[in-house]
Amino acid sequence: MKTSRRISTVFILVAATAVARAQTTEPNQSDVVKALLMRIDKLEQRVAELEASKTTASTGAPAQHHEPQEAQIPSTEGRQSMAAQIHEHDEHPQGGAVAENHFPSLQIRGFGDVDFAATDERGSHSGFNMGQVVLHLASPLSKKVAYFGEVSFTAQPTAYAVDVERSIIRYDHNDYFKLSFGRYHTPINYWNTAFHHGLWLQTTISRPEMIRFGGRFQPVHFFGMLAEGNIPSGSLGLGYEVGLGNGRAGVISRAGDFGDVNNNRAWVARLFARPTGLQGFQFGGAIYKDKISPTPALPGDPTFGEWISSAQLVWAKETPEFISEFANVHHRNNLTGHISDSQAFYAQLAYRLPWQQKKWKPYSRFEYTHIPVTEPLFSLADFRVQDLVGPTVGVRYDITDFAAFKLEYRHTKRGPKDPEVNGVFVQTSFTF
Amino acid sequence: MRKAAKIGTWFTFAFVLGMVLVSRSSAQTNTTPDLAVIVNPKNAVDSLSLNDLVKIYRGERQYWKGNLPIVLLFRPPGSYERMIALRVIFQMTESQYKQYWVSKIMRAEATAPPTELFSGGMTKEGVMAIPGAIGCISATDLRPGMKVLHIDGHLPGEANYPLH
Repeated sequence: MKTSRRISTVFILVAATAVARAQTTEPNQSDVVKALLMRIDKLEQRVAELEASKTTASTGAPAQHHEPQEAQIPSTEGRQSMAAQIHEHDEHPQGGAVAENHFPSLQIRGFGDVDFAATDERGSHSGFNMGQVVLHLASPLSKKVAYFGEVSFTAQPTAYAVDVERSIIRYDHNDYFKLSFGRYHTPINYWNTAFHHGLWLQTTISRPEMIRFGGRFQPVHFFGMLAEGNIPSGSLGLGYEVGLGNGRAGVISRAGDFGDVNNNRAWVARLFARPTGLQGFQFGGAIYKDKISPTPALPGDPTFGEWISSAQLVWAKETPEFISEFANVHHRNNLTGHISDSQAFYAQLAYRLPWQQKKWKPYSRFEYTHIPVTEPLFSLADFRVQDLVGPTVGVRYDITDFAAFKLEYRHTKRGPKDPEVNGVFVQTSFTF
Repeated sequence: MRKAAKIGTWFTFAFVLGMVLVSRSSAQTNTTPDLAVIVNPKNAVDSLSLNDLVKIYRGERQYWKGNLPIVLLFRPPGSYERMIALRVIFQMTESQYKQYWVSKIMRAEATAPPTELFSGGMTKEGVMAIPGAIGCISATDLRPGMKVLHIDGHLPGEANYPLH
């Protein structure tokens, strides 16, 4: 009996607290906005009613009581005729003028981050780093033509390096065919196109090794032309991207912006599906073909045939978020015929916690990269890509809708003879 | 002591019952109107599936048949229409919605988020003025002359209409 009494008391206290809390909640700013919007709607409704009654009175017709249901849902037959005639009082230009696009209308958005890193790697220094400051530009030039640009400012030992990351002009014919020209994020990798320099957009601090900035494993940028669009496929939601461009420059981490280093064009093709019934779910694959002419030239001046194949599986929701990608890079030395295949994959899992206004998002990622010792290109000092095995764990805290704080621990192991490295990283990233 | 316990139990029961009744009555009085989807009267489209509407509002489908660009009109934060659309069409919170459009523009998939108009009347005017426009307004704001789309074969107010 004592127990039941205690339960009753506790229950009453909890319920009373809840009720009291609901009653004492101060109206916040969004409540005020909500109330104002409701008032505008009511006033508009009242004006429409008054105008309607005025029109009826002036035509001498008997005043009719406004039947909301009838006005709300015109009959199928009646709608056609109603559509043809727009009442005079409906032709207010205000909403139309506000909603109408103006050309060009440049919009600029920025991304930035400030980082702190500390690792136990021999010879490394802990400290703060200025992340990239990135300006993203978007400007519709007409109803079907738009420009997209991206400029980055990266801290260097003596100055800031300015780079044109993207510069694209795109013509949209319809949803099934859009053609563009310029410098892109190579659509061979989900992460590369979904987040790229927008570190605030990605859950983690670091990018996966297979597509890191300045990386060589996969071409991060692509210069040329790209056709893209949806493929009529019903609820499967298929889409494609097909590109033709200069491919990798002599320095393989760069795109051939200044011109192609050989007479061979690179091409990329990506097919993906975004099923309609599963919002946030996406899967797909891509292939990329190029001929690499490395600079400085290697002994014998060989060129390399490159085939990259990749696959992606993404659940872009936050409860949970799951991203996994795989890539195989196939190189053939055109002089010796030597062939090599290198692989990399990662799987990342995150979950937006339901408490504290959903501000916390813990995450974890596992990465693996394997480069054969006989790899003809990645094993060279100038083009080195190293093995990697390692987990990353961390947590993201969203300070506001447009800024986040992240804390991350990484454990990495490179080659068999390399030491294991542990690191702690902190970042605040934001968009403005 | 036993009597006090009994009183406590009955009080608790009565309190819970009262809370349930209050919440039921408030749910009844808070019955909200459906969200109507309107397009320009010259638009040939009469109906959309909910999936198509989702694709349109998420910017995954950007053209009507005939290659007419779709112009998305939306209501500002705090409005009833936005609340319904975020829940049913976008299936996102306000923060996720903002991040979604930042991300979409960053990926060069769109040049701007949906245009936000401050009232149902302005939405109506925008839809009337722009051939490719689509907007969501409260069903109580519907007036003659507006073209209301069937969603999954239903109009606002009908049973099984999905936007409410």
